[in-house]
Amino acid sequence: MPHRIEVTLKEQLLDAEGQSLRQKAKDYFDIDLQQVRTVHIVTIDADLTTEQVERIRSEIFTNPVTQVSSLAPLAVDFDWVLWVGFRPGVRDNPGATAVEAMEDLLHLKLKAGEAVYTSKRYCLKGSGVTRSDAEKIAGELLANDIIQQWAVYDRDHWDPADGIGFVIPKVKLDHRPEVATLSIDSDETLARLSDERSLSLNPNDIPTIRAYFMKTEVQSQRGKVSLSDPTDVELEYISQARSDHCNHNTFGGRFHYKDLASGKEEVIDSLFKTYIEGPTLALKAKKDWVVSVLWDNAGVGRFDEGHNYVITGETHNSPSNMEAYGGAITGIVGIYRDPMGTGKGSKLIMGSYGYCMGPRDYDGDLKPRLHPRRLLDGVIEGVRDGGNKSGIPTPFGQVMFHPGYLGKCLVFVTALGIMPAEIQGEPSDQKTIFPGDLAIMCGGRVGKDGIHGVTASSATFSANTPAGHVQIGDPYTQKKMHDFLIEARDEGLIRFITDNGGGGLSSSIGESARFSNGCDIQLEKVPLKYDGLDQWEIWISESQERMTVAIDPAHLERFMELSRLHAVESTVIGTYTDSGKIHITYNGVTCAYIDLDLLTSAFPQWEFAAEWQPPALRGLKEPVLGLPDNHAALILDMLKRPNICSKEWVCRQYDHEVQGTSVIKPLVGTGRDVPSDAAVIRPVLTSPKGLVFSQALIPMYSAIDAYHMTACTIDEAVRRAVAVGGDPDRFGGVDNFCWPNIHYDERKNPDGRHKAAQLVRSCKALAEMCTTYGIPLLSGKDSMYVDGHLPGRYGETHKVSALETLQFSVSGVMDDVCRCVTMDAKVPGDGVYVVGVTRDELGGSEYYELLGNIGLHVPRVEAGAFEIRYRSVAKAIDQGLLASCHGIYRGGLAVHLALVAMGGELGLEIDLAKVPARGIDREDTMLFSESAGRFIVTVAPENRAAFEALLADQPTACVGRVTEAPILTINGLDGSRLAALTVEEMKAAWKGPFGDLI
Amino acid sequence: MSTQPKVLVLTGFGLNCDHETAYAFERAGAAARRAHINALIAGDVRLDDYQILAFGGGFSWGDDHGAGVIQALRLKTNIGDKLLDFVEAGKLVIGICNGFQTLVNLGLLPGIDGDYTRRSVALIANDCGNFRDQWVRVTINPDSPCVFTRGMKTLDMPIRHGEGKFYAERETLQTLADNHQVTMQYALPDGQAASGVFPHNPNGSLADIAGICDSSGRIFGLMPHPEAYNHVTNHPDWPRRNEKQKRCGNSLTSDVGDGIRIFENAVAYLGD
Repeated sequence: MPHRIEVTLKEQLLDAEGQSLRQKAKDYFDIDLQQVRTVHIVTIDADLTTEQVERIRSEIFTNPVTQVSSLAPLAVDFDWVLWVGFRPGVRDNPGATAVEAMEDLLHLKLKAGEAVYTSKRYCLKGSGVTRSDAEKIAGELLANDIIQQWAVYDRDHWDPADGIGFVIPKVKLDHRPEVATLSIDSDETLARLSDERSLSLNPNDIPTIRAYFMKTEVQSQRGKVSLSDPTDVELEYISQARSDHCNHNTFGGRFHYKDLASGKEEVIDSLFKTYIEGPTLALKAKKDWVVSVLWDNAGVGRFDEGHNYVITGETHNSPSNMEAYGGAITGIVGIYRDPMGTGKGSKLIMGSYGYCMGPRDYDGDLKPRLHPRRLLDGVIEGVRDGGNKSGIPTPFGQVMFHPGYLGKCLVFVTALGIMPAEIQGEPSDQKTIFPGDLAIMCGGRVGKDGIHGVTASSATFSANTPAGHVQIGDPYTQKKMHDFLIEARDEGLIRFITDNGGGGLSSSIGESARFSNGCDIQLEKVPLKYDGLDQWEIWISESQERMTVAIDPAHLERFMELSRLHAVESTVIGTYTDSGKIHITYNGVTCAYIDLDLLTSAFPQWEFAAEWQPPALRGLKEPVLGLPDNHAALILDMLKRPNICSKEWVCRQYDHEVQGTSVIKPLVGTGRDVPSDAAVIRPVLTSPKGLVFSQALIPMYSAIDAYHMTACTIDEAVRRAVAVGGDPDRFGGVDNFCWPNIHYDERKNPDGRHKAAQLVRSCKALAEMCTTYGIPLLSGKDSMYVDGHLPGRYGETHKVSALETLQFSVSGVMDDVCRCVTMDAKVPGDGVYVVGVTRDELGGSEYYELLGNIGLHVPRVEAGAFEIRYRSVAKAIDQGLLASCHGIYRGGLAVHLALVAMGGELGLEIDLAKVPARGIDREDTMLFSESAGRFIVTVAPENRAAFEALLADQPTACVGRVTEAPILTINGLDGSRLAALTVEEMKAAWKGPFGDLI
Repeated sequence: MSTQPKVLVLTGFGLNCDHETAYAFERAGAAARRAHINALIAGDVRLDDYQILAFGGGFSWGDDHGAGVIQALRLKTNIGDKLLDFVEAGKLVIGICNGFQTLVNLGLLPGIDGDYTRRSVALIANDCGNFRDQWVRVTINPDSPCVFTRGMKTLDMPIRHGEGKFYAERETLQTLADNHQVTMQYALPDGQAASGVFPHNPNGSLADIAGICDSSGRIFGLMPHPEAYNHVTNHPDWPRRNEKQKRCGNSLTSDVGDGIRIFENAVAYLGD
């Protein structure tokens, strides 16, 4: 019989969670609640005596100082009760730790099928609150119906004795696992099967797949293991391996690119090979610090004699768009497994985030599944719990708003790790597998999570079917696994390691088996969350927190001993072979038998038509604007723009100090409230060496030309890293593309060819920038199909495509962290310099956006000239000549002068006439142009001569000075006073939009 | 100091500040070992071999049922008597953040009237309702018997927690004050009491309490992280201080962060 424990805070204590809910109900929906008290409910579905449950209640779940609890519903006063619990099969992390605690306390083991389920009820007091208000709070603030169920009770319908009753969201599948054999007598049949089973096979792949199964030799070999037609396990496996996610068919495709203005045509055979692999291999040959690129889960660079560092980044867009918290936590915890699975495994040292969202205050007609405000809240919290609970600092991140992301949001996550250069005398970046090595699955168990992606269809819900295939990351389980695997690595027990992400075992085993050239897997050995999974589901499930490890059988005993010590589940699920085959059995019966080289052979290349129409021909033009006459108000309004204003509330939720390595924090300056250009950590505590890390996202320029968007984004990321003291000779890059669909379709995607051309142009810029700046691409990923179909006012749907977006990350080793500088002005009397030329480049700028324009003159990067400039600035920092250094980014000179002043809580007196410029005759252009390649630096009087000498060949000018009085004073081109703004009023404006959020 | 004191830093089950805590002790002159909680419970690692036991930061068991609750339960159930013996033997215990939460759930703190098993204070959800990372300034009670804070007046450190609000009944607070067990309090930048004002008191702790000790001063728990101030460049103001020092013709004399003094005090105490 089930038991239920209710726990709540003593009445006199502030209920912070309830208080937050009250605040949100007011802010989001203008609903006035007088009080909210939270009751935690632990439902125990296990055969225990009341005495045992009573012990559990008092010794585990009740803090005698602060809480009261009961096995019966607690009498907490309310007008409305909102109950929220998980749907069946959704990862209940607190439920799992509750089981651990109970078993420890009572010295027993729960039986198979017994479990603990946690839920909450919120007791609302509010005299004017209606049922529809209560349902709004439950459905739109508290619960997401993909993963949660909820109920609303008023006083008349609340039974004080029974409370919420006993809700047991246990998965019961009542299904006998079986392998289906599928006849593929024609291409049409296979195409139909692909549709029916959501295999998403590309039509061009279908003949190749059929041809394989028709081969006489293949048929005769299959006959020997009692197989004939393909099984569902096999087709699902091929589908996973051929998916764009796993195979990068788009970047490997053939692009027919045509410039409609010049009529020039070219064919690009694989964007990846042409623009990513080629330049990176050329740079690797020149840069001896590049250790390993282009093949493993992440790239590897040398940190120092004894250590390598590891970096990669990816996105988790679609899942986050459906279930913000679950998608985001799965994203961050998932990316952390990539460095863990690189080389023989690395320890995580840092993560970062980048969110692209619809406007937080969106109130238009389109109805996204989750409002951007709620989506952003959930995403922030998911990455917060995923990073903080993993014990990994998150010292950098960005948030970007644009209506294009209403269709689908972007959630970028990046991870860095570190490993000894050698493990037991062998290079840590290398790994292989020998025939006879054991295949081991470590970490979490397998359920129906992540099979064929997330589905929002509520028709699939019933009381006991697993909900929507949604994954919820579990940083606790993964942290245990991380600590275990690092120890196993250091003892030399790990021959090969890789993570289970997209495609699950099918991908991790399928790819690792190439190293020995085969494997035998016994699927029945894979530990499951619940019975009833079909074999193909076990094989492709994306259940989280799992790594696949290959070990020498001689190390099995020690490996398992360490695994037990760390309370991590590890299971031998098969053996690597050199048979050339993936051979999968279930209880001795073969269910898949596929040649490993099938997936690397003879599939037709995807083809794309790309047509480029230059922006002027598309009708873009510079707006005709008269001069503004209130520059002070204009600057303040620019500071309030969502993409410029303070987002301190996000940074502070992320632990950026854990591991004790923090050097340059996300927020710097006197008030510790202004964002830094980049982050610096000191990952080896005994060493003065540092790692600099920065990222940039400027998708707005794609509205004009994705070539320049890409060049500017890379330039900004590099400039950010230079600004804190990074060494341009040692920068590596990570490219993360997020693109709308580029497959042309007359009705469904009429501008597909344009989007394809944008992708080609972006890749061209990437190659040129990396080559000129000398940045090898250590890692990168792409996520296509960033489009959504949103219902409008009349039930019609609208396709909303994201801007073509690239997030670019830069990392680099620096010799001495004590040479770093921050962006805040530091001492009155210092000279203020602008380095770099300001041009008439307001196209796609924040200023034009404020005034409702796009424009045409997008900022252009002169990579050759900038590269020399950055070396000079880096040298000036290295020689200690700069008191502060800050790049000029989104918003232009005015916004970034304001940030330098706010950072130091000091004034700046600036003469615009002195700012190096070309072709500008008006102040607003000077103030808000977003020309690339520029810095604002402050220099002590005694260093000015040396600094000017060092930058003599660069466009550099002293444009003013730092003042004690905290006022930003800007004089116009004719010398007259344009604006004078106090730091106080600028901070008030800049913190205005999100300043109340915590 | 005759011999290097030996420090045991606990790891496993979601704890995460073990490397820098061990480093901080090493930097202070101790010999630190990181060991898994299960190794301690199994007896493969013996408390008897150590003079200092460090409960570090992290999210033990995910902090799912109150921060530090399950860790405390686990230790109490399995090695509760050994922990009491360790304390009885006059050795030192420090709990930082999740470790502090564990110590109060074990009852090792505040240990009023020598009762090291009773839970009488708690660390609960921050008033601001969220996890928060921020540097704070604390003032140190000169009358506190705490051996870890001897000779210190103020210290800057980061807090990084969602459940750091110190709570106790009024009588308990009075007893703690009377016994000078309130070792550390959140303060304004000028050293005056924070008086509950956010964000200087970042979590709403009663009486601005950031850290307490037992009446012997040998068991110490605090929410801020001294081990995260192990190097001068950890401090948020270091680039400004560095620039101003340069103007006076000075350069950094030492790269050691002030947080290390907490650990040095422990080492010095055992060396006496």
